[in-house]
Amino acid sequence: MMARIGRAASAVTAVALLAIALPVVANSYVVGVCFTLLVWIALTESWIVISGMTGYISLGHVVFVGVGAYVAALTWLALPIWLILPLAGLTAAALAMLVGYPCLRVRGPYFVILTFGLSELVKYIVVNIESALTVSGRVLFGAPGVETLYLIALALAWVSVILALIVRESRFGAALRAIRENEEAAETIGVAIGKFKAAAFVLSSIVPGMVGALLIMRSTYFEPLEAFNPQTSVLIVTMAVIGGSDRPFGPMLGVVFLVLLQELLWTNLPQLYMIVVGALLVAVVIWLPGGIYGRIQRMATAAAR
Amino acid sequence: MSTQLLIAALVAGSVYALIALGLNLVYGTMRLINVAHGEVVMIGAYVAYWGISLLSVGPLISAFAAMPVAMALGAAIYFGIFRRAMQSAEFMERIEGNSLLVFFGVSVILQNVASLLFTPNQRGYRYQDEIVHVIGATVPVNKLIVLAIAAAVCVAAVLFFRRSTLGLAIKALMQQREASALVGIPLTHIELASLCLGFATAALAGVLVSMTEEISPFMGFPLTVTAFVVVILGGLGNVLGSLIGGLILGVLETFGVALTGPSYRSIMIYAVFIAVLLLRPQGLLGAGRSRT
Repeated sequence: MMARIGRAASAVTAVALLAIALPVVANSYVVGVCFTLLVWIALTESWIVISGMTGYISLGHVVFVGVGAYVAALTWLALPIWLILPLAGLTAAALAMLVGYPCLRVRGPYFVILTFGLSELVKYIVVNIESALTVSGRVLFGAPGVETLYLIALALAWVSVILALIVRESRFGAALRAIRENEEAAETIGVAIGKFKAAAFVLSSIVPGMVGALLIMRSTYFEPLEAFNPQTSVLIVTMAVIGGSDRPFGPMLGVVFLVLLQELLWTNLPQLYMIVVGALLVAVVIWLPGGIYGRIQRMATAAAR
Repeated sequence: MSTQLLIAALVAGSVYALIALGLNLVYGTMRLINVAHGEVVMIGAYVAYWGISLLSVGPLISAFAAMPVAMALGAAIYFGIFRRAMQSAEFMERIEGNSLLVFFGVSVILQNVASLLFTPNQRGYRYQDEIVHVIGATVPVNKLIVLAIAAAVCVAAVLFFRRSTLGLAIKALMQQREASALVGIPLTHIELASLCLGFATAALAGVLVSMTEEISPFMGFPLTVTAFVVVILGGLGNVLGSLIGGLILGVLETFGVALTGPSYRSIMIYAVFIAVLLLRPQGLLGAGRSRT
């Protein structure tokens, strides 16, 4: 088991180390695209820790991004960046801890719509707080340039992938997958399901919180409807499902595919992009269960025989 | 308790009940979690809007165009997506979760197609908006029309499930799928009929909503959420429960907004939604089904 993590982790680390050099060799457009790519990798890999492993599909992952962004907007210039980022992650984790245990008692499709409702609830609470403070949007002055943000995104994506790898291959991950396959059976053989699910939920919330802080440093603007935009949750789920959400490498395929598609369509036809995203989600669930990665693996197994 | 608020609560409640009815029907017969239900409402609303602004046809007549459009959409979704998928064991094993994702995709598609075709702007039209006095309250006529139609359809639905053959067959399918196949109920036909009926009532609700509120391509999701609150309040697969659930939510929302203010409306609906899911996922009335 350790050897398997070791090999995959060193491959990921090697790629990440090489990618540090990117801002030196590429122009800022390419760095910007890669920043987006890394942000989505960080988000989807964190999502699979809870949803890919346990089968509790969260359609409200954006809530952690939004909370992280809000923390960063509130503490901007009051604190240094190297403090804002972990604080954003910790706040998201605190929220996950608060809501995780009660929410994860609700199962199946009810959990899915519950997470969506929760992220909308938090969004409207922040909207109301901001309007009570008579603030409409906050501008962040003096945010670092895209090269610095790229390096932070790289670090977050690396952490997220390594975390997903470790969770997947550990006893903890085995317990989570046992919950996915049969929760009653898992409980009967002694898996502390409540604790394990809550722990996975909290683990999956930290990176999105930090990503949220990072994203508003990039846009230099905080607006609750944008920071908590449910579209982010939709994209996370679609990317993970298209790629195949069971293994850490699956979602990366989905991310690369959708980010490239976004580069092509977003500026001119944002609606068309979302239509394609919706159609892909339908098509994969119906015709390609297991996603692209699952299909490749199946073909590889068939070829090896 | 003022009559003004009570009438407002009844109007909201009867529309919620009507929307929830279709959602409940589709879930009850096929175990499909239709999160695109609100988008069907949106489509109905746009049919009414274009009917009155392009053809000067009143919304009550447009309703007879909106319902077939929605039924055609339902049939297309049934034949295009679910009929084959529902024969695969892998899909059926997690039908609730899978159908939720599929319908989520459908909802994203419908929202963005509407936004592409009709622009994302809010639209509205004036229809029967003169004020009348009813038992001490001042109410616009359109709200009374909405109330009358929504309430009539809800009552008709209850009778439909008690008296008509199709209604009884649908109910049988909800309660005992295998047994109803054994006694000769044609499952495919009934499933298709329920999906189409569910979509048609949603489109009708959309026509009614457009008479009193502004519409937009993204109006659907909050309505889906309220419909889920109602269905969960009333119990999944329980038609009469939906009606009572709708009224409860209408009262809660109207009086809640009156006490706090309109900016708290979304917070309140989502808070009720979360509280219901956390505290009483099996519904307030009637036994729910197993939720695995």
